[in-house]
Amino acid sequence: MNEELDSQLSAMFDDELPQAECELLALRLSRDRALQARWGRYAAIGAAVRGGDIRLGGMVAYEVSSALASEPLLADARERPMQPTGLTLARWWRPMAGAALAASVAALSILWLQQNSLPASAPLVARSTAPSAAPVEAPASYVVPRALEARAMRMPATELANYVVAHSQFSTPVSRGSLLSALMASESAAVGAPEQAAGAAGDPDHHADDSP
Amino acid sequence: MSADVSDLSLVRRVQSGDKGAFDALVLKYQHKVTKLVMRYVRNPAEAEDIAQEAFIKAYRALAQFRGDSAFYTWLYRIAINTAKNAVVSRDRSPVDYDLDTQNSDESYELQGRMKDAETPEGLVLTDEIRTTVNAAMDALPEDLRTAIVLRELEGLSYEEIAASMDCPVGTVRSRIFRAREAIDRRLREVFEGGLGRAEELG
Repeated sequence: MNEELDSQLSAMFDDELPQAECELLALRLSRDRALQARWGRYAAIGAAVRGGDIRLGGMVAYEVSSALASEPLLADARERPMQPTGLTLARWWRPMAGAALAASVAALSILWLQQNSLPASAPLVARSTAPSAAPVEAPASYVVPRALEARAMRMPATELANYVVAHSQFSTPVSRGSLLSALMASESAAVGAPEQAAGAAGDPDHHADDSP
Repeated sequence: MSADVSDLSLVRRVQSGDKGAFDALVLKYQHKVTKLVMRYVRNPAEAEDIAQEAFIKAYRALAQFRGDSAFYTWLYRIAINTAKNAVVSRDRSPVDYDLDTQNSDESYELQGRMKDAETPEGLVLTDEIRTTVNAAMDALPEDLRTAIVLRELEGLSYEEIAASMDCPVGTVRSRIFRAREAIDRRLREVFEGGLGRAEELG
């Protein structure tokens, strides 16, 4: 065996080898069984010089190596969290998708509630309650987009409630509770004026400024 | 020289998936760890089992080792915890010794108690090895013997040995290497294949 290599091994054993040389020798030591045997004897010599028991532990390395033969490599275990798998991505996207769904449901329910809580004849323009001394121009009216209005009105309260319950895992209990309460309240209001709601939904040319 | 560089080089290799580097770490520390565990259990075979368990636990936990402490310090803690758990689970009382004792009298007494539980074969082998090493040490030239004693017994760094022996660090490195080679040669003559169990690994 190369004497310089053995000299390096002895220095490495004592932690007295420069880092760059250590890296190279560590690579070789991990693969060269003869070098490992010499390394192990250096350890045994040290134990004997210190008065240690060399018989003890003599089989430990062999047993540990055998026991670890079936263990996965550490590199595999380390890389797993660094490289997100489909499952990891799914875990990431689930809350985001849930939040998006909850926001969509909330937007739909607000539109639906706006349509059902007001009589069909009521204007969809907020009236100013503040006293005004000077005459002001009539407020600009807002025209509800036809497609949005129709989509909102086609979502029955029961179906919406079922949807909210079915997707409850994506929303917080507070928002879920308030949404369901609002749905129940609006449904009771809708029972009183089903015709108006149906009339408003069925009129594609319904505009907010159509009412007097 | 920064401390623990060689162990860290091996640790990094293990962390990158090289099991052979872990064999080298076990070979280096198996005697120390087993001796450490013997402070808790009297039976040498049980101490070996616990040492093995400690190394296996260390391997499994090595992915989390960041090098904040020296590798042996980290391994030492694992070995102590494994030994304590083994003692508790097997309902055996530990040997009542201070872990950090450096007192030579206590160490001598501890070794005496260890020997009581050992098998005759183990004692013979231990004594033969020790006798061989001591004989090989005595046969060394004075400068080689001083260098290896200062390193292995006193735990001095090469720089400290160089200052002590009034010679360059390179000379110290060479002397320690030549001392080891002389002892190793003698050991291989006496125990051909007996200590070279690492060659069977893999």
